[in-house]
Amino acid sequence: MKIRFFLRFLPLILCISIGCETVKPYQKAYLNDHEMQDGQNSEAKFESYAESIREGASGQTDGKGSGGCGCN
Amino acid sequence: MKRRFITIAFWLTTLAAHSQESAPVYQKRKLALTDIQVLYSNYLQDGIHSAVTGGKGTEKLQVYAPDVVLNGKRDSTHRFSFEMGTDVITSASTDNIDYVVSSASRVDYRTHSRLSVNRLWTKKEVSAGISAGFSIESDYFSRQFGINFSKTNSSQSRTFSLDFQAYLDDLRWGRLNQDYWRPVKLIYPSELRDREWFTTYRRNSFNLNLNLSQVLNRRSNFRLYAGVAFQQGLLSTPFHRVYFADTALLRVEKLPATRLKIPFGFQFRHFAGQRLILKFDYSGYWDSFGILANGLQVEAAVKISPMFTVSGFGRWYGQHGSRYFKPYGEHLGSENFYTSDYDLAQIQSVKLGLGLRYAPYKDLGSRASWKAVDLRYAWYRRSDTLHAHILTLLVEFELGR
Repeated sequence: MKIRFFLRFLPLILCISIGCETVKPYQKAYLNDHEMQDGQNSEAKFESYAESIREGASGQTDGKGSGGCGCN
Repeated sequence: MKRRFITIAFWLTTLAAHSQESAPVYQKRKLALTDIQVLYSNYLQDGIHSAVTGGKGTEKLQVYAPDVVLNGKRDSTHRFSFEMGTDVITSASTDNIDYVVSSASRVDYRTHSRLSVNRLWTKKEVSAGISAGFSIESDYFSRQFGINFSKTNSSQSRTFSLDFQAYLDDLRWGRLNQDYWRPVKLIYPSELRDREWFTTYRRNSFNLNLNLSQVLNRRSNFRLYAGVAFQQGLLSTPFHRVYFADTALLRVEKLPATRLKIPFGFQFRHFAGQRLILKFDYSGYWDSFGILANGLQVEAAVKISPMFTVSGFGRWYGQHGSRYFKPYGEHLGSENFYTSDYDLAQIQSVKLGLGLRYAPYKDLGSRASWKAVDLRYAWYRRSDTLHAHILTLLVEFELGR
């Protein structure tokens, strides 16, 4: 129960404890790295798609954008 | 002579400075860049709880999925994305709809495509876009429409985005059958075709997703997301059998006509030192079928060199099953809703994998360059013994630089 509570409020705790500092464009070398980008990992899309079918949960990260039966 | 040269140089500098001041702060520029991604995924699965045969039976499945994605920038404000792919599906379980073994197993195809266009208003840091797409299988046709909006703050550290998607699906079979080439009817298990089990063949889904991305510092960022999805119509799969404990009669799976889903979660990325990137993802989920789920994924990527990256990842997922699920032969005939599909059961799953990325940015001539090649492998195992191997190859090119 404590772990679940901690996980739910982790982002808030992170922002408060680390602090959100202003980063200038020339200071974004690490943030602009391919691995740091959100939504860049096309190679993982099929995994997300398969998980959305083989598991009951779906909605946010279904990988492939289009619908489908997923009934095989 | 020297003084004259200095005077001319001074005036030229003044002129140059003047022309820079009179120019607008922002000018739309021609870029015409296109990023081309060629993907190939191979999915191999096996299990013993097929819903087609009522919760027991082979789930052997192979999917070969080539896919092409074009991400284009017409200029610095207009972007488009086009995706098209076909999945070739060899499924032993769907071959049991009629218990006639047509081959080693039955082959099906899924073709899907999507086009989206986005416009950026740079002064306001706002972007908006629309998308449309479709997906077609022998027993399924899905049309998709979407709109999205995002707003970034002036320091480019925080982005709020909103995305709405509507899927309008038709579950009738026949479109890819050479005798029909049109939607004809719902396909039921061969021994249950004496009556119509459902009055509708449509399934509509509406998904609304909200995202908040925040830069924490020079090395860290995180993203919070939450959504709500509503489905209505035929949510049962018409060729799933259900066997009962108190009656010898079997029936077609029956699920409620509406479903409300709430996904939420966050992602955290941190660049540690000069070579290590840590990724931490949490996803939570609740729905009106009684499913409550949590997923955790951790990934570590190591930059061996500026061009070569190796990553390892692990994912754990746990789900409290739907109230409508029971295994083979355990449902009661008096129940209103019933399924023996283990995708809706109480399960846990583990995924482990490895990724390799080589990004040389090599010039190929004719304004084309080879950006990167990615190879990713994942091993997946579910607590009901279903297991799968997923291999993906991605080759990425850029045109127009």
